[in-house]
Amino acid sequence: MRNWSTQKEALALRRYAGQRYACGKSVALDDLPQFLEAVLRPGDRVCLEGDNQKQADILAKALANLDPGKIHDLHMVQSGVVLPEHLDVFEKGVAKRLDFSYSGPQSTRIARMLSGGKIELGAVHTYLELFARYFIDLTPQVALIAAVSADRDGNLYTGPNTEDTPTVVEATSFKSGMVVAQVAEIVDKVPRVDIPGDLVHFVVDAKKPFYVEPLFTRDPGAITETQILTAMLAIKGLYAPYGVRRLNHGIGFNTAAIELLLPTYGEKLGLKGKICTHFALNPHPTLIPAIEAGWVEQIHSFGSEVGMDDYLSARSDIFFTGPDGSLRSNRAYCQVAGLYACDMFIGSTLQIDLQGHSSTVTTNRIAGFGGAPNMGSDSRGRRHPSEPWLKAGADADPNAAAGLRRGRKLVVQIGETFGEKNVPLFVEQLDALELADKLDLDLAPVMIYGDDVSHIITEDGIANLLLCRDNDEREQAIRGVAGYTDVGRARDRKMVERLRARGVIRRPEDLGIDPLDADRRMLAARSIKDLMLASGGLYQPPSQFRNW
Amino acid sequence: MTSENSWYEAGARQRVAALLDPGSFAEFIGPEQREISPHLAIFDLPEQFDDGIIVGHGTLEGRRILVAAQEGRFMGGAFGEVHGAKLTGLLRAARTLGEPVLILFDTGGVRLQEANAGELAIAEIMRALVEARMAGVQVVGLIGGRAGCYGGGSLIAGCCSALIVSEQGRISVSGPEVIETNKGIEEFDSRDRALVWRTMGGKHRYLIGGADAFADDDVLAFREAALIVLAGNGRLDADVLEAEQQRLEHRLHRFGKAHDAIDIWTDIGVSEPTEIPGLATDEFLRRTTNKRETANGAR
Repeated sequence: MRNWSTQKEALALRRYAGQRYACGKSVALDDLPQFLEAVLRPGDRVCLEGDNQKQADILAKALANLDPGKIHDLHMVQSGVVLPEHLDVFEKGVAKRLDFSYSGPQSTRIARMLSGGKIELGAVHTYLELFARYFIDLTPQVALIAAVSADRDGNLYTGPNTEDTPTVVEATSFKSGMVVAQVAEIVDKVPRVDIPGDLVHFVVDAKKPFYVEPLFTRDPGAITETQILTAMLAIKGLYAPYGVRRLNHGIGFNTAAIELLLPTYGEKLGLKGKICTHFALNPHPTLIPAIEAGWVEQIHSFGSEVGMDDYLSARSDIFFTGPDGSLRSNRAYCQVAGLYACDMFIGSTLQIDLQGHSSTVTTNRIAGFGGAPNMGSDSRGRRHPSEPWLKAGADADPNAAAGLRRGRKLVVQIGETFGEKNVPLFVEQLDALELADKLDLDLAPVMIYGDDVSHIITEDGIANLLLCRDNDEREQAIRGVAGYTDVGRARDRKMVERLRARGVIRRPEDLGIDPLDADRRMLAARSIKDLMLASGGLYQPPSQFRNW
Repeated sequence: MTSENSWYEAGARQRVAALLDPGSFAEFIGPEQREISPHLAIFDLPEQFDDGIIVGHGTLEGRRILVAAQEGRFMGGAFGEVHGAKLTGLLRAARTLGEPVLILFDTGGVRLQEANAGELAIAEIMRALVEARMAGVQVVGLIGGRAGCYGGGSLIAGCCSALIVSEQGRISVSGPEVIETNKGIEEFDSRDRALVWRTMGGKHRYLIGGADAFADDDVLAFREAALIVLAGNGRLDADVLEAEQQRLEHRLHRFGKAHDAIDIWTDIGVSEPTEIPGLATDEFLRRTTNKRETANGAR
């Protein structure tokens, strides 16, 4: 007769092997290497927690130092390939196969290792996709996670940066996998139970907090006047006419400028309460002035942001907080919220082609996707109406019967025609295609597909792609806002003028915006210190952002 | 919050316009003369018609004054051949005319693309500056721009009669990245901006006598400070140099082993030294009264 409990029995064996190095659930830091060798098996599917923010850094380091003679061929399934150790495990032969989502700082090395055959790539996912696969065909056998503190029963407090932890534990522990957590301290009673102790098998006292990258902090001091102009265009030319209240912002300087213009320019336009009231968003420090001025009603967050914790606790009407007072973030829920409950995504990118496809990949870098494609895609499963969604749907298909017409999410790409180091934003062909060729990938890593993009904003104006009726119009609308880039200079002038007459392209002057008004004095905060002062001293900027 | 008239935020022309008596500024070799760098085109780099520095004359409370202002947003305010020659000329004119000079520093040092010409310019400027001072002319440096005052700029600043600095201002020969590259991240983490500021920033420079007056990040505050400093004498002779040499030797002896600016602030008797970076100007000046090191018209 078939044994229906092999996974539970395997878990029992792992727990028994690990117990040699543990006292109760607690594993001493010194014993971590032997412990991991005891509980891991070659070929295991392992989730090492880490995303674009928090990192199970101590566990990553220990994993990278294992003897590949004993532990090898691991299949890593993890959100982020961010720490050097995340790739060291492949370099050393501890791991072989990789399914991931985001690789920001390791984007160059991962590209090199992929082409060198050091890594066998499953796929590059969005966060939600990878989480989804944890429950279908990429369920971890071992999860190595990070929390702030644990009690002796293994109950975990994950603090403001809860992020991926509940999802990873849910998929692993309830499918007879083993969960090992690194914590900064063992306490008698955790401030709140984010993860119940009976789902956690072992706890390692790392004696220091897990690493968190301040990825969402943008220094207002670095915002340019061109970015301010694009932000003015966005507010007056998009947020206002569509009445966008529920949205997600990317992490670039253009959207930081929008956040800092709300209490000044937005106020002047009389838009308070009419736009930007509900966000799926990490706690951007640049949103502090708008929150303080009463613009924002509610924000749900993927993670926290370094230095923002006291501010978030003190603004529980706006943020999601636990009974202990600190923020509770959750990446999976927030991604779902961004996909289904937001009417707009607006973010910047590195390359946009003539069909409106965009990518942050350049020939030698694979930065992954993270969550942007979940936010920046039209959710075809959506059924609830809202004014911006219906209006965008009508833009796209004016002749359809209203009762049968899908709404559309506003998916907006915003940037300057020439980006950092004067690299043009617009290209004839995405570098992603060349990279896909080179690495023999089935799919080019496209961040946002052209058919999801509704608008492109540059200092040259707004292109409303929903109003384009064929590919030619679409191409010329994109060229029409591409400024003096090669793509822009190759525009068909007559057609671009026709598109402008139809309102497909709207220049700053068409919206009554004088580019000379785009002045840094319009920003509600012009430095990190201003943000700290606006928060009443509650925001404590990390050292690398303090220019005082 | 950042002042409406922030010095840090303003460009060189805005600073000059707000610093001097309204409408009094007249430019020498203005952008209409297109006296551009002869080197940048070789590197396919954009030029600027004033080569990133404005020189001219005007009045301050009615008193005639010469002024030079670097534009930190053009090549980080770096010195090149034309840029440097304009400042040299201004300082020579100051000696001839016997008129005081304000130098609005905003520079990362010498342009790599015209390094030899730039280094020569620094030497010429220092010579012209010292000659002007020997002739009794005051030369005052104002530092609070985005690029700080680094490299050759800091050497020139070191020759000035007096320096006015704001919290945002930074003064150092080597920049943070240079130190990190040469000595390692353990010696100096250039990404730790709080460390950069408490090592090179305005407050620390003021406390150790590397600057003589501390101003709010506001053009009018700089103007007030300039008026006060210009009321001094700016004397430069052997006695001043000897006194300064002794002060620096003493300073090295006293603080040479300190690992962090906070150790120095503790040593000079500032209460709650870790709070210094966060303090507003009034409170900062109140807490440090009579505690700071003072320079002797040379540093």
